[in-house]
Amino acid sequence: MTDQSLAILLVLATTLFAVGLFGVLVRRGVLLQLIALEVLLAGPALAFIAAGARRGDAQGQAMFVILLVFAAAEVAIGLALYLRLRRCADVSDSDSVSQLRS
Amino acid sequence: MSSNFWLLLVPVPTLAAFMTLAFGPFWLGPSQVRAVALAGAWLTAALMLAASGVCASGTCHLLAPVFTVKVGTASVALALILDPLATVVGTTVAIVGGFVISYSLGYMARARLADLRRFFAYMNLFLGAMLTMVMAGDSINFFLGWEMMGLCSFFLIGYNMSLPRAFAAGRKAFVITRFGDVLLLAGLLLLFYEAGGVRIDALVNAALVMPPGRRSVVAVLLLGGALAKSAQLPFHTWLPVAMAGPTPVSALLHSATMVAAGAFLLARFAPLFAATPEVLAAVAMVGAFSSCFGALVAVFQTDVKRMLAYSSISQIGFMIISIGVGAPQVAIAHFVIHAIFKSLLFLSAGDMAYAAGGRTDIAALAGSSTRRPIAYFSFAAGAASLAGLPLITAGWWSKEAILASAVSAGPLGEILWSLALIAVALTATYATRAVLVGAGPSTLLARPPAVPPAGIATNAPLVLLAAASLAGGLLVGPIVRFLGAAEPDTPAFSAIVGAAAVLLGVSAAFALRRHPHLASRIARARKVRQGFRIDAVYQQRFVRPFRHLAYWLNGVRRGGRSSGIVDPLGAVPVLGIVWLVRRMIHWAAVDRVDRVWMRLAGMVPELSSFSRRSQTGRVRDYALSLIFGIAALLLLALKSPRLPWH
Amino acid sequence: MALTLQILLPFFGGLACIPAARLGRNAERWVALASLLIPLMVLGLTCLGGDPGRWIAQYRVAWAPSLGIDVIFALDGLSALLLAVSLVLGAVSVVISWQVHERSGLFHAALCWTVAASNGVFLSFDLLVFAFFWEGMLVPSFLLIALWGHGKREAAAIKFLVFNAVAGLGLLAAVFYLGATGRPVSFDAFVLQGRHLAPITQVWLLLGFALAFLVKLPVPPLHAWLPDAHTQAPTAGSILLAGLLLKTGAYGLFRFPAMLFPNGFLALAPYGLALGGFGAVYGATLACAQTDAKRLVAYTSVAHMSIVLMGICGGRHFAMTGAAVQMIAHAFSASALFLLIGMVYDRVGTRDLRKLGGLQQTAPRFAAAFALFFSAALAMPGTANFLGESLVITGMFQGNWIFAAVALVSLLIAVVYATRLLIAIIFGAPGPAAVTQDLSLGELAPIVVLAAGTILFGLFPQLLILPLATAVDAAVASLDAVRP
Repeated sequence: MTDQSLAILLVLATTLFAVGLFGVLVRRGVLLQLIALEVLLAGPALAFIAAGARRGDAQGQAMFVILLVFAAAEVAIGLALYLRLRRCADVSDSDSVSQLRS
Repeated sequence: MSSNFWLLLVPVPTLAAFMTLAFGPFWLGPSQVRAVALAGAWLTAALMLAASGVCASGTCHLLAPVFTVKVGTASVALALILDPLATVVGTTVAIVGGFVISYSLGYMARARLADLRRFFAYMNLFLGAMLTMVMAGDSINFFLGWEMMGLCSFFLIGYNMSLPRAFAAGRKAFVITRFGDVLLLAGLLLLFYEAGGVRIDALVNAALVMPPGRRSVVAVLLLGGALAKSAQLPFHTWLPVAMAGPTPVSALLHSATMVAAGAFLLARFAPLFAATPEVLAAVAMVGAFSSCFGALVAVFQTDVKRMLAYSSISQIGFMIISIGVGAPQVAIAHFVIHAIFKSLLFLSAGDMAYAAGGRTDIAALAGSSTRRPIAYFSFAAGAASLAGLPLITAGWWSKEAILASAVSAGPLGEILWSLALIAVALTATYATRAVLVGAGPSTLLARPPAVPPAGIATNAPLVLLAAASLAGGLLVGPIVRFLGAAEPDTPAFSAIVGAAAVLLGVSAAFALRRHPHLASRIARARKVRQGFRIDAVYQQRFVRPFRHLAYWLNGVRRGGRSSGIVDPLGAVPVLGIVWLVRRMIHWAAVDRVDRVWMRLAGMVPELSSFSRRSQTGRVRDYALSLIFGIAALLLLALKSPRLPWH
Repeated sequence: MALTLQILLPFFGGLACIPAARLGRNAERWVALASLLIPLMVLGLTCLGGDPGRWIAQYRVAWAPSLGIDVIFALDGLSALLLAVSLVLGAVSVVISWQVHERSGLFHAALCWTVAASNGVFLSFDLLVFAFFWEGMLVPSFLLIALWGHGKREAAAIKFLVFNAVAGLGLLAAVFYLGATGRPVSFDAFVLQGRHLAPITQVWLLLGFALAFLVKLPVPPLHAWLPDAHTQAPTAGSILLAGLLLKTGAYGLFRFPAMLFPNGFLALAPYGLALGGFGAVYGATLACAQTDAKRLVAYTSVAHMSIVLMGICGGRHFAMTGAAVQMIAHAFSASALFLLIGMVYDRVGTRDLRKLGGLQQTAPRFAAAFALFFSAALAMPGTANFLGESLVITGMFQGNWIFAAVALVSLLIAVVYATRLLIAIIFGAPGPAAVTQDLSLGELAPIVVLAAGTILFGLFPQLLILPLATAVDAAVASLDAVRP
């Protein structure tokens, strides 16, 4: 892997991260935020893989797996919360769940 | 202990009597009190007579030192002296004092024991003080006697406790004489400062070497003291009201002895005055005016004691005239004669007044020739001497000596002589008038209560004094010579004119008797009777403003309302400080530092509510802050060579 | 050592009075008397066996050498006389307070402590110790007025305290400056005497000292605390105030300015003379219109102490001797007058001149005592007051005669208020408040003591002038050394 391709890949990872971030920040729907979170997580994952490939280190791949696990866990809980919200408060808008506001 | 120590004992009996009566055992009965008083007075008189014997027989300049104190470089050497002046005056005072105290035994017969003690205590203290002053060889003893006399005068005038008029009179006497005393003290202290000592001869010598301006100042100061004590113009207003005291007090203090103390002072310091001719001239003029004034006002009096008071003013004026023309010896001769007949007049008038029911107005004297013959005839003898009936009375001789000394003293002397003649004529008038009233039938509407006839204690002094006032003329020449001056030769025309003036006055009195309408005009002349209201002027000019000042300073406004600030000067710092403290409290009550802290503390809720706004409760916002935080951490951590802290 | 007893005995005696009150049978009064009379005897012995030189006795012990504070006591004729006066007056006030019962232990303690502090003032020559005793006089006398006085006593006591405490700050400031700026640091008055300060410094320091002393004297316009304090104080308090505390101010003015600030003293003397002259006339005038007997006597104290000020500012032998004599004479006569008025008040409950009267008829011994002490106030020859006043007036002639004239005017006005008081109290028929009970023997004793002092010193002036000569000579000498 050359530096140039690493750079391209990192740019791609940053783009993914940014898109995901944009989505979390801008979208109001919880599902869509969760989807954006997935995209966001893809970014660093790609960055890890690219770095591992560049160095010839398997730790990059290991980090990707950990990230996968994170993503899975977080999606599970997130979907569970979403379902809870839908069922109890009939809400799909993350902005309206702000009773912890002071 | 000098050889003349016995001289110091002369005033001792009177002082011992004072101590006994004032502080002594309280079981003294009335007769014992009287005995002590009499003993005090007569023992002193005996000692004084012994002293005069010593003086007459030989050397008459004895000095008895008391003690000496050094103050810095000056030495205060107290002493009593005996010289001709002291002898003559002292003997007169002692004997007259003895007579008056004898008379008082009867006069005060009905007084309470405590009052009796008080009276005789003060009378004895007065005698002791006067003798101390007379025999004083230094200014301290002199002033001691002088002031003590004034104090005794205050207490004796106010003797009658139920007479507020008497207290006011005593107070007025004290204040006016005190004014003179203050002037006298100033003069004496100035002399002490110049001389460095207090002996009178040292003071006089120091005065003679003083620059003339200062010498005149000292002379004027001493003159002021003398005039106030002797009740001369313009300080005479206290004497007529001092008659509110009992008759013996008036007889002793205010006729014979204390009021003549001023003349004695001038005589004692005669060399000093001789060196200040302008002051001496002033002295003579004051004397002349006083004698005319006193005699004139005396004619218009209706109260016999007041008449005698104004008469004293006038007679002492005569003494002062002769001092002013440089013949103090003649003045002292007149002092002796005046003491005799004036005390006689007071004592006999007192007795007659007592017989008339206690009234002292002249009209009440009518009928006394039958009621109280001894008193009346001795009164007549005294009045004759006062008038100066030619040749047969002592008064004639002394007055002639005065007139002679005046007429032979230059052009000013002739003016004084004429003024003195007027006074002589008026004197004869009022003296004769009183006698004539007494000779007539009683005009009292009600019969006075019958009083017991006077005892020997009362009559003996009267008779003796009467005899002396007639025969005393023989003494005048010897006294003058004894005091060291040549007897003034009386020019014939002065004697004749003097006799004519006296007879003129006497006939005027008879005329007044004949023509009642003149008498009634005299009776209506209130302004003259009140001494031309000079006293009222003093009251207006001095007493009232001072009283207003004192009351104003105490915050009492007119009408007695207490509305002003009490003690304005003392209140100023208090009010000032209170105002200052109030302002400071007002300024500092606001704790400025605390305000800063409180403001800081007040910012916290604002800060808090501001920072609260970041807690929106929205996931997205929290995500955003997460991202910012992570970005900052990454920036911190990343090893980028362009960042400054790497 | 004997000198410290003058302070320690009254102090501890006073302290002992407080528990002694519980023993009953007037134990605390006897303790107080003992703690005042024993130092008097010790004083007599000290004077008899003392040095004939400048100082009769001296005592010096180092206290805080690094700070320059030693305890220095020195006794000369003036201090000895004032100490004797203070102890005698203390004993007199104990004797006449025999009827005071409430909190009697503390009362006698306060009396003794006032005397102890005044003794300290008269003896100290270390300035800081002097200032300590100066301030120390205030607290016991404040207690005396505030707790056992009558009328508006708290206000009077507070006025007294505030005036004197604030004025004492001037003294403290000057003392600290003097002590701290020396090389080495020393508060010893004798050492400070040798420092030649610039005249302008001397003037400022003198003003600081003088502020405290003038308020204590008191001199108009700083006198406003006196009439209230004297009037509302109990009899013993008035005696100590008039007889003792005022003299501490006079003593301070006499002793320290001439010693420490001669140039400043000479510069400020004319103002002092003017102030004293004004005060003498002002105090006398105010006394003439009073209706309260005690207040009248209080104003006369103002007048007399102003004469003392004039004497001190005269700066030469006659004037300063006169001032010292007047100090002692006034102690006797003013205390006696307050004593008498206090006795009248105890009998009839009023001091109003309009209600009293007729004492001559009902209580002649009382009347005689009043007459005697008022003659003293009038400066009648034969009393020590006359001696003092005439010496002061003679001293005034050495300077400008105007001041002599002012002093004489004050003497003239004295007659007005003296006759006012005498006529109101003694003469006349007995008024609504008639005193029926004459002086008892126990009451006569203190009066006789005070009368003896007044008359004895008046008739035998050498008894006063000889002891005072060393003090006066020293003061005049230090002034003459810098006189141009």
